[in-house]
Amino acid sequence: MLTKRQNLMETIKGGNPDRFVNQYEFMEIILEAPMDLPLAPGPGTRIKNKWGITFEWPADQIGSFPVHDDEHRVLKDIEKWKEVVKAPSVFYTDEEWAPAIAHANSVDRKEKFVTAFCAPGIFEMTHHLMGIEDALMGLYEEPELMKELIDYVVEYELAYAKEVIDHIHPDALFHHDDWGSQKSTLISPAMFEEFFLPAYKKVYGFWKANGVELIVHHSDSYAATFVPFMIEMGIDIWQGAMTTNNIPELIKQYGGQISFMGDIDSGVVDHPAWSHEEIAKYVEIACKRCGKLYFIPNLSQGLNISSFPGVYEATSEAIDNLSKVMF
Amino acid sequence: MAKIEEVKAKLEAGKAKLVPGLVQEALDEGNAAQDILQAMIDSMGVVGDKFSAGEVFVPEMLMAAKAMSKGVDVLKPLLTGTSTSSLGTCVIGTVQGDLHDIGKNLVAMMLESTGFEMVDLGVDVSTETFVNAIKENKNVVLVACSGLLTTTIPAMKETVKTLKTCGLTGFKVIVGGAPVTQEMADEIGADGYASDAGSAAVKAKELVSAIA
Repeated sequence: MLTKRQNLMETIKGGNPDRFVNQYEFMEIILEAPMDLPLAPGPGTRIKNKWGITFEWPADQIGSFPVHDDEHRVLKDIEKWKEVVKAPSVFYTDEEWAPAIAHANSVDRKEKFVTAFCAPGIFEMTHHLMGIEDALMGLYEEPELMKELIDYVVEYELAYAKEVIDHIHPDALFHHDDWGSQKSTLISPAMFEEFFLPAYKKVYGFWKANGVELIVHHSDSYAATFVPFMIEMGIDIWQGAMTTNNIPELIKQYGGQISFMGDIDSGVVDHPAWSHEEIAKYVEIACKRCGKLYFIPNLSQGLNISSFPGVYEATSEAIDNLSKVMF
Repeated sequence: MAKIEEVKAKLEAGKAKLVPGLVQEALDEGNAAQDILQAMIDSMGVVGDKFSAGEVFVPEMLMAAKAMSKGVDVLKPLLTGTSTSSLGTCVIGTVQGDLHDIGKNLVAMMLESTGFEMVDLGVDVSTETFVNAIKENKNVVLVACSGLLTTTIPAMKETVKTLKTCGLTGFKVIVGGAPVTQEMADEIGADGYASDAGSAAVKAKELVSAIA
């Protein structure tokens, strides 16, 4: 039986996996790594992170939102970004790094990939700072200033990456940046190519040049039209690929250059009235239509969790059951 | 090219800095303010159709709406006495339990550009707030309910049910958002459904013309 790491490599290299890669099983994500907390930590909380961005997680919601009213929005005028936007330090004490190092050292790297975690992404950081409308219009109205801001975020990411690499020597990177809605990208492919492809080539290129073997990018959205750019920037696995992308077709077109992790939309199965039967149905649909290579069946959620208790585990169980039938 | 055609072209291209000057030039050329306004409304319809077809994206919609807004600012003093809105008032909000507002904001911009006077209730809007907004605002002909989360479908259903049974009349209810389908809209008793901001504007006009 292949290790989880070997099975993943067989799957994404077009070899001979002996079962489906089961969701996030191949990644040991080192969430203890010190970082600027990108989100409010739980229901009923509100925080201001080190960039000055306020996040709120209302008690009755299933997630955290940046607060963008006039009082809280960090960057109200892109022309003033240099005065207003101040990246936090990427340096943390040995004491702060200790839990992450201990976690990384405990991992059998033949079995799993020690995985660094980065969020928010570069695009997300622009709209967390400015609000989505201003960030998107800024790409039209002040493209050079937006490029400067993006470069600034890239420099921060590179500096943080160096610290992570020095401390935990990750084999993989799991990096968030949502680029679309359920059925469309937020910006055009041309705009993405101009503003964000160069940024990500720098960031992912740096991780890969420093020992990271695998780049896993999360965008739980439609982003099929960005796949050529994902390949160019060095993404090995697109996690969060929703059913709206027609993943079987993407596998046919791009399998071997990139792999797809998803095809089970969290919104469809992860709800208060979830059931094993419903999950098994959608897992079977995904596995049968996407096949054994270049595909990892997975909820579209951006971590190895679900919004409602039991859904992630039930999905894993259904995938294991399918493996027994299909392999 | 006639100035009014230039206004249309630049609005569709989202040239917010150029449109106000062109609107003024179109007025100077002798065009009536109402005709220029209608030309801009038509252009926003074109942008909405392109958005529905996946030919333009959110930034292009935002820029066109901004151009429209700046153009309307030039016309407003000349439209005094007649409303800049000819379709009536639309109350819009994201239903209770849901804080997502990008889609709702896009729909609001498109409906405003189409000729509705908008009352935007924001996000996490209770059924009671929707009902009160209908009572407190004049000429409400449309209520638009948005929701992104699967988990807020029950709240949308409850909102539509209450709007339909609260005793108030004279308005239609339109719903939309990622988990919403035509089938679901029919099931919960909404009058209309739209899959995106562009088609929402088309559907909204269709719904309110049925009232008239």
